[in-house]
Amino acid sequence: MEIPSFHDAPEKVARTFVAWLASWWRVFHFGAKAIVMAASPSAYDRATSNLMARQVYFTAWQILPGFILVSAIFSYMVIRIVLLAAVSYGLEDLALAIVVRVLILELIPLFVALFVALRSGAAINTEVALMHIRGDLEALQRAGEDPMRHQLVPRVVGSAVSVFSLTVIACSMATVLAYFAMYGFTAGGIADYTLAMSRIFDVAITLGLGLKAFFFGLAVAIIPITASLDAPREARYAPIAVLNGMVRLFLSLALIEGASLAFKYI
Amino acid sequence: MDQPSQPPPQAASVSETVTAAPIRHLEFKVAMLLSITLVLSGAFTAYVLYARGVFASTQKVILVTDDSEGVNVGMPLTFAGFSIGRVRTIELGDDAKVRIFVDVPTRDARWLKVSTVFVIEKPLVGGVRIRAVTGQLEDPPLPNGAARAVLRGDATEEIPRLLSSVREVLENVQRVTAADSSLNASLGNVRTVTERMAGRSGVLAAALGSEENARKVFAALDRTNALLDSMGGVSARLGQTLDKADKRMFGTGGVMDETQKAVVQLNAILGDARESLKKADAVLADVQKIGANARTATDDLGVLRGEVDASLRKINGLIDEVNRKWPFKRDTEVKLP
Repeated sequence: MEIPSFHDAPEKVARTFVAWLASWWRVFHFGAKAIVMAASPSAYDRATSNLMARQVYFTAWQILPGFILVSAIFSYMVIRIVLLAAVSYGLEDLALAIVVRVLILELIPLFVALFVALRSGAAINTEVALMHIRGDLEALQRAGEDPMRHQLVPRVVGSAVSVFSLTVIACSMATVLAYFAMYGFTAGGIADYTLAMSRIFDVAITLGLGLKAFFFGLAVAIIPITASLDAPREARYAPIAVLNGMVRLFLSLALIEGASLAFKYI
Repeated sequence: MDQPSQPPPQAASVSETVTAAPIRHLEFKVAMLLSITLVLSGAFTAYVLYARGVFASTQKVILVTDDSEGVNVGMPLTFAGFSIGRVRTIELGDDAKVRIFVDVPTRDARWLKVSTVFVIEKPLVGGVRIRAVTGQLEDPPLPNGAARAVLRGDATEEIPRLLSSVREVLENVQRVTAADSSLNASLGNVRTVTERMAGRSGVLAAALGSEENARKVFAALDRTNALLDSMGGVSARLGQTLDKADKRMFGTGGVMDETQKAVVQLNAILGDARESLKKADAVLADVQKIGANARTATDDLGVLRGEVDASLRKINGLIDEVNRKWPFKRDTEVKLP
């Protein structure tokens, strides 16, 4: 049995650090390859389209009613709390800006990403880890199929599309809910509302929201997949692969959120 | 462990499991989700573009100010509480003046006239507002690209000035209410005066400063009364004397040539005496008002006394002369008060 000695500790730390860097490098490498492949139309055939559609179906469509309900309740709660707090401080003018900036720009995209990560990210992680451990991917390769193209990229694209769709739906709903919560069921506030929205959504903020949703979508699929592929080929490592993937995914989501905040407000 | 070396049929079965269990209308559902997403994001983008006035034709107003603190891009320009324009860019010019470029949609630009005043308001709580105020709606419209100076209405700028004024006021109040302040001293004096007024001599003591002074005034009045009484006596005696002189002069004893001059002289002196008595009369009338004006009264009393003295001296002289010329003994003494 190998007993780690005091002298080889720095070497161990260095080795761990290099391994950590290498694994992140594989994440970016895989991500870049997946994006390039997803962007080339030749990568899609009937099988990949079908797998992608299934991924979207399981990730977004299947949960859509529940998701709409949960996110509507969550949005309305946040909107009411912010509105009441703002009104009680005499800041009605700023209430809508606070709602939009906090809820629509930050909370909902993060909420959607976490939702999809918990539901589909974990599933993808486990599925790919098992495929990796069983050697299915190599088997496919020997059979003349490109596992990247036929198994992994459709999942990445499907997840990214799902996160983007759910974000758009939840944000649109929150936009409408914010209007009704603020002005009631009347059309009288449209001019005010439009003015407030125009002050918030400049080009950078609007593009930033889209990009954030896009990167969240990519992270939700790419990070669990690379974590699965990194794991040793032993069944007992499957849970560890899933755990690593989810932790790393959570970190990445936080990093993307932090970067987006820094980009917008610093 | 030997799974990687498994034959391709296994791979085919994996593919099958992934694509197995066909979902009904899978393509349709996914297409619907994607189209909902596209429609929503497209509509939202269009709405934001519309909100930012991309589709509206605008005219430019340039607002020039020293300080654009709190003003940011996208902020509305309001007229009568309605947003009629939006800040497009803010620049700091070479002359250290800030130029705020405001886009006003052409349909709203009719509210802006050449006489329109632009104000940047900075309330204590909440954001800065840019307002346009048009007094004369009949004036010609503001031309496109016109530069206008902005007035600033800054509530926070007023605070230091307000505080310093408040402090001054408080200091004044403190000075006024201090124990050694003139207000306190005045109030003390008022109390002394009212105490005196409540005393035995009343208002007179208050006006003259003390009971003693008031008593002096009363004494002067008493003496004046006594004087007036003795004046009555004097005039009565004078009447008798004149009667007697009359009898002597024009009575049975006849008129002597020698006394002619004396009589003329006497007449003149009597005229003087009458004048003096008239004055004394007037002064006596004044004396009646002494109660109202003690100071004037005492002045007049001095004059009266002087005049009465003078008259009495003349009368004394007259009587002496009459006595000298007429050999009957008379008591010529006149007592002065």
